[in-house]
Amino acid sequence: MADITSSTSKANGQPQGLLMRLTRELVRLPGIGQKTAQRLAFHLMKTDTEEALRLAEAIREVKEKITFCTQCRNIAEGPLCAICLDPKRDTSSILVVEEPSTLHAIEQSRAFRGLYHVLYGALSPLDGVGPADIRTHDLENRVQQGGITEVIVATNPTIEGEATAIYLTKRLKPLGVKVSRIAYGIPVGMDIEYADEVTLLKSIEGRRDLG
Amino acid sequence: MPLVRTRGIILRSLKWGDADRIVTVYSPNFGKIRGVARGARRMKTRFGGVLEPFGLVDLSLFQKTPESLGQISQIDLVASYSSIRENLTVMTAAARMVKMVEAITVDRDPNPGMYTTLVHGLKSLRPEADVALSALLFQIHVLGHTGFRPQFDSCTECGQLAKQHIPQWFSPRLGGVVCHDCGQRGVGRMLSLSKGSVAFIEQARRLSIPNLSRLKAIGSVRIEVETAMEAYFYAVVGKSLPTFEQWVS
Ligand SMILES: [Zn+2]
Ligand SMILES: [Zn+2]
Repeated sequence: MADITSSTSKANGQPQGLLMRLTRELVRLPGIGQKTAQRLAFHLMKTDTEEALRLAEAIREVKEKITFCTQCRNIAEGPLCAICLDPKRDTSSILVVEEPSTLHAIEQSRAFRGLYHVLYGALSPLDGVGPADIRTHDLENRVQQGGITEVIVATNPTIEGEATAIYLTKRLKPLGVKVSRIAYGIPVGMDIEYADEVTLLKSIEGRRDLG
Repeated sequence: MPLVRTRGIILRSLKWGDADRIVTVYSPNFGKIRGVARGARRMKTRFGGVLEPFGLVDLSLFQKTPESLGQISQIDLVASYSSIRENLTVMTAAARMVKMVEAITVDRDPNPGMYTTLVHGLKSLRPEADVALSALLFQIHVLGHTGFRPQFDSCTECGQLAKQHIPQWFSPRLGGVVCHDCGQRGVGRMLSLSKGSVAFIEQARRLSIPNLSRLKAIGSVRIEVETAMEAYFYAVVGKSLPTFEQWVS
């Protein structure tokens, strides 16, 4: 396969320039390297116009129609997500997750009936991700508004997940809520979203108090 | 050398693709090496949660060529230094240590002295200790192990032997002291470094890490040494290290 990036400096032709632009956009996606991006760009070029545009349309709709819930930052189609809007949920407990995919996995397991809070990341002493980067203040404000009795921290069993649990405990305990951490039948280093339903159920039931 | 078996400290464990991790290990015999642990983030992983930073591990790594990214075939935890995970300050000190080693070393350049320093450094971190001081002393040692030992016996600009000039200056860019005359002429950013601070650094370097707990730095010496070493380290590696202040919000 031709190396697009190196050949375009010589070529003045439009097509290479456009392909290179697509490759550059693809390479920005997580887990996509230069070679994979080139392969995808070539694939899209050869694909049916209709099929390729379906992808473009799906991306556009996601960006235009999906927003973040103003209360819990879960993905939503309006100001509040489906969970925050559901009157049957227990509004006295909040389960904190790193990513919406984990929220989704826990919902599938039906192990939890309260509300959520999505951080979109975790604190990292190694990579300099601090409290402001994951907007821990949003969660503190939610707890401060009252009505919450327990916050369950379900961050991943990694250094980052541990750091986040320690920090949240330090900040939330003084506000008079119970802070707990889900138990781990889940091996250290793994992503909670990969845990099966039984394990998730046990993890949440077996949570322990922090602080 | 396709199969590498070694003991080492995990410096970094990076999420990769859908369910893998790329692990960077610092070993006594091979220096810094890295490999992919396939499926490490899945429930049924044969790596059983031993890929977290700061862990001391025995690993087997398969590499087609020394340049290629290896595949980790096996990894066993020898020690986890679990006290590091107890609070954020200790975690940050440990993070500073592994970051220093990661930033200042190149791949596959063995340095047994550096390895021993890292093991002792992580071991010295306990919640009740002055871990910021441990990290500072560690920093002085790391610089000494890599040929970046700061120069104190003569001026780094003109080579003139250091005399009892007051004030004395430290140039992060030149990596050592600057005499009064050169300081007056200007050699870029300079930080003040008293005789007491220089003596502290020299003493820290002579003592081995397990004996460093005897060393105390107070007041202006501590601040001067911290500022000078941080600026010098940044000048050497071009990257800043995790700070203890990042948790204050
Ligand atoms: Zn919501
Ligand atoms: Zn001079």
